[in-house]
Amino acid sequence: MSTRAKSETKHSSAIAELVAHKQVIVCAGSGGVGKTTAAAAIALRAAVEGRKTAVLTIDPAQRLASSLGLKKLSNEPTKINPRKFQAASLEPAGELHAMMLDTKSTFDKVVLQYAPSPEQAQRIINNRFYKNISGTLSGTQEYMAMEKLYELHADGNFDLLVIDTPPTRNALDFLDAPRRMTDFFESRVLRWFLVPYMKAGGGFMRVANVAATTFLRVVKRIIGGEVLEDTAEFFGNLEGMYEGFKQRARDVAALLRSDATAFVIVTSPHEDSVREATFFASRLNEEHLPFGALVVNRVHPKYGDGIDVKPRQLTKLEKGGDDAKLLAKLLDNEEAFMRVVRLEDQNLTALARKVPSHRWVRVPYLEREAVDFPGLVAIADQLFANTSQH
Amino acid sequence: MQLDEFLEPRVLIVSGKGGVGKTTVAAALALVAARHGRTACIAEVDRKGSLPRVFDAPVLSYQPKEMSPGVYGMNIVPEEALGEYLDVQYHMKRISRIFTSTHFVDYITTAAPGLKDILTLGKIWYLEQDRNSRFDTIIVDAPAAGHMLTFLSAPMGLSDALRVGPVQRQAQWLLEMLRDPLRSRVHLVTLPEEMPVVETMETSIALQARVGITSGAVFANGVYSPLLTKKESAALVELIASGDLTTLATEAKAAGLNLDDDDMNAIVGYARFLEARRAIQASHLRILKKGVVEPVVELPFLFSAGLALPDIENLADVVEEEIAEL
Repeated sequence: MSTRAKSETKHSSAIAELVAHKQVIVCAGSGGVGKTTAAAAIALRAAVEGRKTAVLTIDPAQRLASSLGLKKLSNEPTKINPRKFQAASLEPAGELHAMMLDTKSTFDKVVLQYAPSPEQAQRIINNRFYKNISGTLSGTQEYMAMEKLYELHADGNFDLLVIDTPPTRNALDFLDAPRRMTDFFESRVLRWFLVPYMKAGGGFMRVANVAATTFLRVVKRIIGGEVLEDTAEFFGNLEGMYEGFKQRARDVAALLRSDATAFVIVTSPHEDSVREATFFASRLNEEHLPFGALVVNRVHPKYGDGIDVKPRQLTKLEKGGDDAKLLAKLLDNEEAFMRVVRLEDQNLTALARKVPSHRWVRVPYLEREAVDFPGLVAIADQLFANTSQH
Repeated sequence: MQLDEFLEPRVLIVSGKGGVGKTTVAAALALVAARHGRTACIAEVDRKGSLPRVFDAPVLSYQPKEMSPGVYGMNIVPEEALGEYLDVQYHMKRISRIFTSTHFVDYITTAAPGLKDILTLGKIWYLEQDRNSRFDTIIVDAPAAGHMLTFLSAPMGLSDALRVGPVQRQAQWLLEMLRDPLRSRVHLVTLPEEMPVVETMETSIALQARVGITSGAVFANGVYSPLLTKKESAALVELIASGDLTTLATEAKAAGLNLDDDDMNAIVGYARFLEARRAIQASHLRILKKGVVEPVVELPFLFSAGLALPDIENLADVVEEEIAEL
């Protein structure tokens, strides 16, 4: 960590502020921008600062688990050995715990909680359609991430929860996930089509419908009758649980909107992820969700303001001796990187209109990658020391 | 390798982890095909990607549209593919509309995982089979890698689950297309970074072991080109170590250029930055080349933060040169 960056920042960075005051930090952004690493680094530093912290990751690289000194992450938070910190010359005043979301077992817990009887819960859990949900239904992972977050928050064992959001195509998916899931379970259209497969007296009106019958015949041919029976059984068993699901979705939404929570948007300076981040910032605003900070990862370093070299001067250097040739190449290289720096700035202008500059944290490309504990410490240093003068 | 040989399979599937520049490579391959007199169609899979922006074209739909001369774009949406399938196979045009307007595909694909992928692959197969089609090359901008294995192995799952019937037969047809390197080829895209390299190696092995597909090439995106020769690099290191850069400033002056200390810091700073990044990249590229049987094609880092057609044209140049050397 350079001493220059430290002396520049008299007040603490936006991230440092959140870590000191919030109970929940949600890291969001498009895939491949270093979201998981940012979440881990924030949590790591929070632990150093004295907070009992848990980081919830979703589908992290195996390398992250090992960089934290864990063989693998489980669905319950595991404490990171303080020796990891000591090896990096840090003395954690708090604790760091890490976990990886297990969608299936989190979902099982939800079912057990809301099913009217343990037998019914078991019937659902054994159902084949249910087993597929956790693996294939889009939104399940997001829903369960929010569920797990709520559960950990309600338990109250931690001062701070830092959560990484799933690598969805759209960074916002997880906001809509609970609603989409409850809509899915409650779909009348589906149940209407499944009527012929529902057991008699299942509480549905028996509708003789040509379209439904034809449809089922085709579906049966494509995926088989058994699958349809499983589906019908699943939805039959789910009767009476919808209100519980919905209530939980409302509770989660309330937690996300409360003062205890802050959203950290993570992006790279690339056009696509900036577009996503800008959109996300306005969505947070519309939904009255508390924005906390913006992390711009992998920013190219900025040295100077660009050198004005005339083509004539460059040609002259290129035709000169060894030193002149070397200089020509260095100037060329500087020009190329300055072009990237300007383009990155240009990409970030749209975001600058949405997010006030004191909420920005820029993390430059580091000399090393954040693939081990010291690497995470280096990222954390950047996140906490660096305030952006845009 | 001759370009004609590279472009022999009608279907080119471009795949890799999110954020590695799949779309860029797909677009460059399409330009290469177009330059060689082939009409290409890039198919995105169920997403609103950045492809149309590269070509400055409107948002893609299920119906292919020309984005630039000889290059078409389309978006394969499983719901629409199902509608088309039902229409073609069962003449159920009216009912098929229901699928595109409700969550049906969500339910059905939850009931039978992999169906969404089958529908997408089915559409690609359908395009490949169409002998009257204007497309000589179909480039698939495939879903991200973890998902990609599921995507390409979907026909096997379905084929195993359904022992008989029309759908079982159709799943077999898809597998035959995927396994025949003269009909389709998977190309992997990666970055010279830790995670993308590890995932590419895993994907390459799993494709072979689980689906029986040998991928064609691995494209390593964003590789910084060397700046200095060994001699120049040594000279620079020496200059920096001596702390005296006046030699360079004097050279500048002789060329009519005044460089102050900040300027000197900038050129040295960027040279060192490049060298540091190149060293990191080189170590990942070494691991990658050792870890995959496929030839690795290095594509240069583009000094632009966005995507524009001239950049893709440059990449297409490199792709042509590199393929010729394979």
